[in-house]
Amino acid sequence: MANRVLLCIGTMKGLFVGESPKARRRFALRGPFGQGVAVYSALIDARGTPRIYASSCNAFFGMKVLRSTDLGKKFKETKSAPAFPKTDGRALANIWSLEAGDDRKQLWCGVEPAALFRSRDGGDSWDLVDGISNHAHARSWQPGNGGLCMHTILRDGPRVHLGISTGGHYLSEDGGETFQASNKGVGAGFMPDPYPEFGQCVHKIAATKHAPGRLYMQNHGGWGDWEGPGGRRPHIGVLRSDDHGHTWRSISKGLPSDFGFPVLVHPHDADTVYVMPLAPQTRTCPGGAPAVWRSENGGNSWNRLANGLPRKDSYFTVLRDAMDIDESPSPALYFGTTTGQLWIGRDGGEKWECLFDALPPIHCVKVAVV
Amino acid sequence: MTPSVVTVTVHIPGPLRDYCAGVAELTLPGTSVRAVLEELEQRHPTLHRRVCDETGAVRRHVNLFVNTRHIRDRNGLETPLAPGDKVTILPAVSGG
Repeated sequence: MANRVLLCIGTMKGLFVGESPKARRRFALRGPFGQGVAVYSALIDARGTPRIYASSCNAFFGMKVLRSTDLGKKFKETKSAPAFPKTDGRALANIWSLEAGDDRKQLWCGVEPAALFRSRDGGDSWDLVDGISNHAHARSWQPGNGGLCMHTILRDGPRVHLGISTGGHYLSEDGGETFQASNKGVGAGFMPDPYPEFGQCVHKIAATKHAPGRLYMQNHGGWGDWEGPGGRRPHIGVLRSDDHGHTWRSISKGLPSDFGFPVLVHPHDADTVYVMPLAPQTRTCPGGAPAVWRSENGGNSWNRLANGLPRKDSYFTVLRDAMDIDESPSPALYFGTTTGQLWIGRDGGEKWECLFDALPPIHCVKVAVV
Repeated sequence: MTPSVVTVTVHIPGPLRDYCAGVAELTLPGTSVRAVLEELEQRHPTLHRRVCDETGAVRRHVNLFVNTRHIRDRNGLETPLAPGDKVTILPAVSGG
């Protein structure tokens, strides 16, 4: 029976694990694991005996995947990390996403330069997924500020959704064999064509199991004042799809900025969605006052959630994987900042409290009730 | 007279010793740095992967020295080796 909450915090200096009874009043922290090495992605697979995976992205000696089978008390390196074939010409630069597969031994992994790998033995060996990694578009994708990364992997039966920055949204409807660019309605601010077939700088995509075909996207917004070729393109930053990602429409009206990185859906309500708007030029909290914004009607209107957060002088960034929500009956949100604070938003973000205020810069936050 | 098989000592930095049973030095045959790295790949593939990426290039933040000289100041991976030479693998100095 699930009776505790596990929190994985991937930082510039390793992985931390927080653990709390279900009430979530206080979290005990352990780590860092993979000490001194940046962690960009983590996964808590809570099916059966929970397993935790984390990438360990060593600038000196290359990539590792870490695995724990004891709730994050110890981690061991898997037998291998994803690697391109020798003749491919590409070399792994980072690991950006880890996602559970159909069974407990299956893992999917998105990397930089953008490519997808799959493991069938819990991360000990990896195969390149050709359908996207050698897609006809793959050599045309361009790196964004964070690198050319595959940061989102969402599975929905035979469908696989991928988010690539900058490549856009790609959809497979045959279990990951073949992929098509699926960006109708997804704008790009940095190209003369405001709505290209592919090449968008998608920041994150979120899905919900409570509304078939519903997806939310945080795209690279902040182009409302653009006066160059192609003209202004306001409201391209926050989007919604109701047809499995075939088409997208803007839901960003009412937000203070359509630029941001993470997007989350409430675990029990498909219409409740969360984003964290940032000032597009600085990519920090608008006006120095951080806030999560919530819509409870699928993006038609938005409310500011900032009770307990600093009211001024806070100029951090919350990165694409640094916000998560637990699956408790009254879920809490969690976000980690580039200045090393880990915040909890109780009652669905109604009241915020800083759990840890002096961690290394935070890249990713994952939570699970186990 | 030159021995028929040239062997050199390869010094392994602490963070990589888990990939070669904890030893600090390996004795490997090879008449060039490239040949020694190929031998390393055969005998200790996971250790080799930490020194070179999957294209075979030495990682950007890893430095290789033959005795006291960086291979970039000699002939790169084609730097010739003599019996008893010491090849040292070192992470680059960096911070942040």
